[in-house]
Amino acid sequence: MIAIRNVTMKFHTKQGTVQALQGIDLQVERGEIFVLLGRSGSGKTTLLRCLAGLEKPDTGQISLAGKVVFSDCERIFVPPQERELGMVFQSYAIWPHLTVFENVALPLTQAKRKLSKQVVQDRVREALQLVQLEGLEKRPAPLLSGGQQQRVALARALAIKPQALLMDEPLSNLDARLREDVRSELRELVKKIGVTVLYVTHDQVEAMALADRTAMMDHGVILQVGHPQELYHQPVNVTVAEFFGSVNWLEGRITEAGVIKTEIGTLHADSASSVGSQVVIAIRPEDIQLSASPSGNANEFEGEIVSTTFLGDYSLYQVQTRTSKRILKKAMGSPIAPGKAYFQISKDRIRVFYNRELSSLSRKA
Amino acid sequence: MRRAVLRRLVIGPLLDRRTVLVGISLIPVAALTVLVSVIVWISFRQLAGAAAGYSLDAYRELYLDPFTYKALLNTAVFSLITVAVALLFGIPAAWLVERTDLRPKEIPQTLMVLGLLIPSFLTGMGWVFLLNPRIGIINTLITGIPGMEWARINVATAPGMGIIQGLGLANVAFIMVSPTFRAMNPVFEEAAEVHGLRFFQTLHKVTLPLAYPGVLAAAIYIFMIGVAAFDIPAVIGLSNRVFTFSTFLYIQVQPLDGLPRHDLAGASAVLMICISLLFLCWYYRALKSSHRYAVVTGQSYRPRQVELGRWKPWAWAFLGGYFLLGQLLPLSMLVWNALLPYPQVPSLSALGHVSLNNFRALPIHQLLIGAQNTFILAVSVPTLTLLFSLGLSWVVVRSGFRSRFFFDVFSFLPHAVPHIIFAVSAAYVSIFLLSGFLPIYGTIYLLMAVYTLVWLSFATRNLNSALIQIHKELEEAAAVSGIPLLRILRKILLPLLGPALLNTWLWVALLTYRELTVASILATTRNITLPAAMWGIWLSGLYPKAAAAALLVVAVMVPLVFLYWYVGRRATAMERTL
Repeated sequence: MIAIRNVTMKFHTKQGTVQALQGIDLQVERGEIFVLLGRSGSGKTTLLRCLAGLEKPDTGQISLAGKVVFSDCERIFVPPQERELGMVFQSYAIWPHLTVFENVALPLTQAKRKLSKQVVQDRVREALQLVQLEGLEKRPAPLLSGGQQQRVALARALAIKPQALLMDEPLSNLDARLREDVRSELRELVKKIGVTVLYVTHDQVEAMALADRTAMMDHGVILQVGHPQELYHQPVNVTVAEFFGSVNWLEGRITEAGVIKTEIGTLHADSASSVGSQVVIAIRPEDIQLSASPSGNANEFEGEIVSTTFLGDYSLYQVQTRTSKRILKKAMGSPIAPGKAYFQISKDRIRVFYNRELSSLSRKA
Repeated sequence: MRRAVLRRLVIGPLLDRRTVLVGISLIPVAALTVLVSVIVWISFRQLAGAAAGYSLDAYRELYLDPFTYKALLNTAVFSLITVAVALLFGIPAAWLVERTDLRPKEIPQTLMVLGLLIPSFLTGMGWVFLLNPRIGIINTLITGIPGMEWARINVATAPGMGIIQGLGLANVAFIMVSPTFRAMNPVFEEAAEVHGLRFFQTLHKVTLPLAYPGVLAAAIYIFMIGVAAFDIPAVIGLSNRVFTFSTFLYIQVQPLDGLPRHDLAGASAVLMICISLLFLCWYYRALKSSHRYAVVTGQSYRPRQVELGRWKPWAWAFLGGYFLLGQLLPLSMLVWNALLPYPQVPSLSALGHVSLNNFRALPIHQLLIGAQNTFILAVSVPTLTLLFSLGLSWVVVRSGFRSRFFFDVFSFLPHAVPHIIFAVSAAYVSIFLLSGFLPIYGTIYLLMAVYTLVWLSFATRNLNSALIQIHKELEEAAAVSGIPLLRILRKILLPLLGPALLNTWLWVALLTYRELTVASILATTRNITLPAAMWGIWLSGLYPKAAAAALLVVAVMVPLVFLYWYVGRRATAMERTL
């Protein structure tokens, strides 16, 4: 449905040239919800805007539904007007001088589509029904709440029956609770219509909740593409691991196959194979078992709980090891008393990264 | 085959539509380039008999003449006094209105805005009737006291004219500084007070330093207006042979005796352009730093109001005193003298001489032509200005073209260069270069073109700031939903810009209506405007008659001003709902 091949783009600013996109390759299937995930400045919004035709890449090729809409070598650039896309903007971009009805109807009446008045009426009503805004047709746009504006933006994008729906952080301006509700509604809705969605966000929770597949971007490069679970459990590098949830980082060296010497002691890990390498190890807090008494299993360490943070559905512990490294642990259920404790890490949950990524980690720290 | 069609469909229309807007913007850019280049060109060109030669003679003559330095010194003194007086009244007034519990604020606010619309030649004339060394009423009163002849006040000096110009520009200072006070976060002042600073210490150490960049920007801006000012130096100074730069240039091309010296005018214009550009750079640097901490937060807050308490009557007295000096006194003098055969001190016996004779004696035929021309200009000029500045604004703010900086610079050129220079250049171009195939000199079209150019900066600035406030995504949403560029302009941008467009149109209409600088150079019997007709009468020394003509100008202007006031209020109300 959407095919992006080797797209690059530079921005020229006063501070110098910024390489916003460095050779992006991406394929989005029909009917798929595809989430572009990354920090601000990672290039995700730029990529989305390139697809919409609001930015013009320097090189590469973009095609939509089999039609080339941008190609530098063939000198093709289809303007946004001709790309038949729906887009929901971060600011919603609801035209403030128009009513709800007029906002949804304007693309139907002013663009090249020749639609009869009746069809326009029907399409607008249908779209407003989809987003549950029936009855608000006559309301002026400035009198809408944030959530309502977001729905109008969605209705406007869907009313034109777009080839694909582009969404640029559409939930970031809503408050936390509303965001959760809208998230699940949104997935239900677009799945019902069957429209292809390309969705940009910096929130990994949103990505996990919405995406069929997701791509993690950083510094204009796609680091990893896959199902959100894949990115969570099998991150290809430190940046991806770090971005998806919190991580305990350890530095160490593989002394023999499956054995890593770290600052907290010797760890056994299935994935440690390259003997002699300096490595970085990632352990998710929920992959750590914490108990008051030792179990005698492998990968068990002694430590002391220095603080407990109760967060409702789970608690967060800070455990100090002998070598004064702090380890975070998440646990559900009844809290464990402060004091001496034992924590154990399962062998198959340890992710090992080789040292070329070390620098980015230490930079963060 | 398919690809070729695609390319034509795809790249073609996009470029075409943008070309329309760029093309529109290129017209004024080209015209400005021509006018400025011609000024530079004529400064080197000597006309000796039939043959023309090029030399630096004009510059040599200009820089060796002590008269030049006297005019420059006059301009500097005049402009500095103008700034001082404008700030002296404008800043306290802005502070009183924005940051104190003075009520109702609408009265001083409205009067300040309306005061902007009063042509400065009117107040200038009023002050001549008050303070002219020979006929001024106050001088007549003073010299009437035995032994007081030495106390005679001469307004026809650089400082004297500066005070009067400054009174007129206090409104500009007020309007420019008000937003600085309005946007100031009260947190800074509260922090100062919590930490033990007293009211005047806070004002001195926190409030004013925070306002300083905004005030500096206003000061430079007013200084530049002062340097370019024509009305007051012409009305007051010309007959007394006190010249500032604008009038200096004026007598070079419209000498009372002898031939026009275009080479000298060109050389002085080049000097003036250089000075103005220096100040423009300074102005932009000041403006940049004023943005640095004028508005600090996105959080909504209300500036705290200082309670005036027993100082309130003094505050009203200050504002009242300003309006009395700045407007009421000179304007009432104008009315009084328009009704008298010769200037007299108001008294019962003088009341006996009051009549409408001055009005009856006016050259009605000429004034009617002037009224007709002025009316045509006041409708066509704002329309044209808006058309060009809309194109320029879009290219500068929205197009994303890398060359937009170039358009930006040109759109500010008419602001940096004194208007009289454009008029001189346009006169030269139309008389010596175009007359063969485009006999535009002496027609209303010449005035139309020059007026449009000189107000381009003003209109573009207004539209730029309005356009920047319209979120870019509003247009992008339309583009993605398939709406073509020109329809986006019509359906999205124009309605959203509506209030700003209307406001700018009315402003330019009013500026056109009262414009005297360009008209004084370019108006002839055929394309005379109302202010130019009045200027002609004034120049021939018939002061009471000129006052009568000036009153006619105002009388026609009053409905326009009210229209502005009415629509302007509605427009701001509209902006608030958006």
